[in-house]
Amino acid sequence: MKKFFQSVFNYRVRALVQKEFRQIRRDRRLAISLILPPTLQLILFGFALSATVSDIRLGVVDDSRTPESRELVATLTESKSFTSAGNYFSVDQIGDALSRNKLDAAVVIPYDYARDLQRGRPVTVQFLLNAMNANTAAIAQGYAEGVLASYNSGLVGQGIHANFQQISAPTVSHRGLVALMPIYLFNPGLVASWFIVTGVFGLLLILNGSIVASAAMVKERERGTIEQLLMSPASTSEIIIAKIAPLFILLCMMVLFAIGVIRVVFNVPFHGGLLLILGGAALCILCGISIGTVIATFSKSAEQAQLTSFFVNPPLSTLSGAFYPIEGMPHALQRLTVLNPVYHFVVISRAALLKGSGMSSLWPNFLALFGFTLVLVVLSVWRFRKQLS
Amino acid sequence: MRRIFAQTRKELTQIIRDYRTLALALLLPLVLLMLLGAAISLTVDNLPIVVQDLDQTAASQNFIDAFRASVTFHVVYWPVDRQPADALTSNKARAVLIIPNDFGRDIARGINAPVQLLVDGSDSNTARLVAGDASQITEAFNAGAANGRGQPVVAAMRFWYNPGRSSKKFYGPGIFVLGLSMFPPLLAALAMAKEGEQKTILQVYVSSISAHEFLLGKIFAFMVVAFAECLLMLALLFTYFGLSLAGDPTPFLVATVAYAFCVAAFGIMIGAAIPSQAAALQAVALGGFLLVFLLSGLIYPIENIPVALRWLSNLIWGRYYIEIVRDALLQGGGWPANWYKVLEIMVTGAIFYGLAWRTMRRMQVRA
Repeated sequence: MKKFFQSVFNYRVRALVQKEFRQIRRDRRLAISLILPPTLQLILFGFALSATVSDIRLGVVDDSRTPESRELVATLTESKSFTSAGNYFSVDQIGDALSRNKLDAAVVIPYDYARDLQRGRPVTVQFLLNAMNANTAAIAQGYAEGVLASYNSGLVGQGIHANFQQISAPTVSHRGLVALMPIYLFNPGLVASWFIVTGVFGLLLILNGSIVASAAMVKERERGTIEQLLMSPASTSEIIIAKIAPLFILLCMMVLFAIGVIRVVFNVPFHGGLLLILGGAALCILCGISIGTVIATFSKSAEQAQLTSFFVNPPLSTLSGAFYPIEGMPHALQRLTVLNPVYHFVVISRAALLKGSGMSSLWPNFLALFGFTLVLVVLSVWRFRKQLS
Repeated sequence: MRRIFAQTRKELTQIIRDYRTLALALLLPLVLLMLLGAAISLTVDNLPIVVQDLDQTAASQNFIDAFRASVTFHVVYWPVDRQPADALTSNKARAVLIIPNDFGRDIARGINAPVQLLVDGSDSNTARLVAGDASQITEAFNAGAANGRGQPVVAAMRFWYNPGRSSKKFYGPGIFVLGLSMFPPLLAALAMAKEGEQKTILQVYVSSISAHEFLLGKIFAFMVVAFAECLLMLALLFTYFGLSLAGDPTPFLVATVAYAFCVAAFGIMIGAAIPSQAAALQAVALGGFLLVFLLSGLIYPIENIPVALRWLSNLIWGRYYIEIVRDALLQGGGWPANWYKVLEIMVTGAIFYGLAWRTMRRMQVRA
């Protein structure tokens, strides 16, 4: 093992690695762009992206104007989910307010609301939801039905509306009801940033790795200094190893930094083994570097490399499940995610950090990630060699 | 005027002759719109759920059938001798329903029977939807079982503007704006930075063209690119996404012209300020993509951004245009809802133009 290591990192490689390190150190922009943007992006994404729905602006048309109807409105608006956004006199007015985005939801209480309740008849109350955003509408619907259910159980029980119970309760013995008790495992407070941060982490590793690698690779070509490297006694594989090793080490430092941010700023629990995450992250970095190298071999200048990456990065990030759940995609696209290394790391980091899953359940993802890394590294070495000769 | 159009024509010829930028300008926005439009959706269906039925009676089977019938859930097999929570840690299921021993007996006796639902909370939004859907199924099951003894107050839900609650219709307009905020300024910045990098800008200085004419000529060229993109993407929105114009389209038309000017001026400004193609590209990618993606309510609502960051979104030009496009294609609020947003875009465009002009003038002095 030691012999192998010595033969790979012989004095030529060490000299070249040293050269690369010096180059990166003196090119301050590259060094900064290695560490700073990923961390900043992680913080920005974690804070800015959240799907939580609260304080839905609720407008009210109360045609009943009775204590009963006011009680219903109070029950709705006293919950954290809805805030009162004014009373309206007609459905037309409230429709207008909805279309001007002054309201997110509206409730229309019919004029015979209190009378029907007292007579023990079921009453229908209309909810209008602005369903432009499908997700917000679905969650608002859940909230409204939850509030109504608890309001109903208050009506059926003891209280001022005891009439309802008396009149409507059937004399025959009734069946028991099912009471659903949901428990949120792994994230009991339903903190949105835990989902985003654990996903974006992997995406940033690969995207930044590829950007930095393509910039470093294309530079030698742009400046023509690659000829000098070829004249040196080092072989092509030694040149490649020397190019990749410093980037790999620096990006690993970035990983540690990012993990610190995830732990300290976002308070994500670390249930699983840190080794799993680090192992996955190392594979991810290699993937990113290889993608960058391949892009660089197809480009003659830095801006061409960047333009090419515009064709590569969107599919990588879209089909990763970093920002939104995979399950929401059409099935054809869901199957494509298996071909995305980012997806596998996102699964690993979420499962290992939040759920504490171990290798026993994550091995398929690791295997896939390892396979992609191997293929990409081989591809990039082959492309780079072809370019050199 | 003649000089402006000559500049525009020269710029367009340059774009058409470079296949890479042409693909970037026309093809990539369409691909992005298709891909993201299909992929982004926060509402999920067919979620795998594991059911552990410890009761095994007709009542419990009926209850499970209610879950089987729902489109949200997809009941998967899980061996009875393994812990149900393991199904969540191994990513085999997103929720577990546990029905206790005495379920059937309790129901028959008229006692309320508790049923436990373990939800994978690692994706908080999906977890909320899962819990909401499961409780709606349970409510429906209870209502069916409680013959006649229904709920006193029933909610009749109406979903306005997007009755099918299709995610595509909400995100489509947003990605349309994302494409427009990214590619025209990218090309504009590249073209402008190229003049600086290759020093062809000196030829411009010695010609009789003025800074205003030069800038306007370039901006018009990239407005043409933006309009071409706009038409292509709108065609996709109207067909594949099934959207149509709702209400008065004039605010949308005016805003589109203003927005095309705004993004083209943004690109020109960046290109003039940073005379290096690679660096200008990065700056536009940051401004055009990251800010619009994060701070304009494209995927996640602006209201959820912490207050310390939220004020920033008021400065993001894409935010207003997203609201206008969504309004034009879904809500139909017309001018009363949108006039100030159009104004904001125009002001931002004017500021970008002013800044670009200032840098241009300075460069002329320096050269």
